[in-house]
Amino acid sequence: MDAVKTIATENTEVRQAGWTRRVLIGRDPVRTLIRIVIWIVLIVLIRSYVLLPIRVEGVSMLPTYKENGINFVNCLAYVFHPPQRGDVVAIRYSGISVMLCKRIVGLPGETIAFRDGHVEINGRPLDESYVKRPCNWEQAPELIGPDEYYVVGDNRSMDFDQHTKGRAERIRIVGKVVL
Amino acid sequence: MRTWLVRLVLVGALGSMAFWAWSFLFPTPEHVIRKELAELARAASIGPNEAPLTKLAKTQKLMSFFTDDAEVTIEVPGHLTQTLSRHDDLQQAAMGARSLLNNLKVELLDVVITVGADKQSALADLTATATLPGEKIPEVQELHMSFKKADHSWLISRVETVKTLR
Repeated sequence: MDAVKTIATENTEVRQAGWTRRVLIGRDPVRTLIRIVIWIVLIVLIRSYVLLPIRVEGVSMLPTYKENGINFVNCLAYVFHPPQRGDVVAIRYSGISVMLCKRIVGLPGETIAFRDGHVEINGRPLDESYVKRPCNWEQAPELIGPDEYYVVGDNRSMDFDQHTKGRAERIRIVGKVVL
Repeated sequence: MRTWLVRLVLVGALGSMAFWAWSFLFPTPEHVIRKELAELARAASIGPNEAPLTKLAKTQKLMSFFTDDAEVTIEVPGHLTQTLSRHDDLQQAAMGARSLLNNLKVELLDVVITVGADKQSALADLTATATLPGEKIPEVQELHMSFKKADHSWLISRVETVKTLR
């Protein structure tokens, strides 16, 4: 009787081990390995060329983007259409390890100015609901080149000289910030 | 199928080892410049409470990356505009920065190297970050560097800042 019990227990253990193995590595380990490799390659490709994860540092995009917030840059956003006014974009330096996160306010060929803290495009004030803090920036009208976009942060309470802004070449715009 | 997979993995591993050995024995100009830039970043960084002798040694190490007639043009709107064109001026500026700062971490990122057709000159575009103690956000500046080949190394002949936003 004891021997029967032992065999039954062994059978149950074997069955359990088989079930666990099937759940963890599947019926065919080689196929599972190939699937894992495909998934890793897909994730790496998406992470490198489609959705770049970024961490926002600094205060220039407050209050829209807070410090240390995690976000993504959609690198395919401008494949079928050019960047639009109001888009928050990532602008690269020599590469994508460090990027600027700014909002497009001026489009190619337009004239931009800051008067009494408000952006003026071709002499008309721009409605900017995302700017929540008062601002006193002044800047003479500036023509935006044919392949350039004027970008600025949402936090206009900073000193004019302390805030990084200006004309970005189209080639430097990596993509649109997703969230 | 398993034999085929094992063979594939073996061929891949052997290929990687051969590639690594080849690049170790015969490094390309890009590889040499990248290595030098990594050393340059280490030499430009300032450790906490460096002794005067260490400061001098690291400054001299830093200067060894430049040609005698190297020119450094720094133009940061609203902050600094300066051109240093003599070896002594560069050394003095480097020593001055070391004596002013107690701690500084320099990193050179996203290095893009273009070697000239003559293989005697090269250009490098890179992003330099400098983190001061107590500051969470580093200072970021895009740089354009020109290199000249000298014996087995490459020396920096010109450095200029790049305006990322115009």
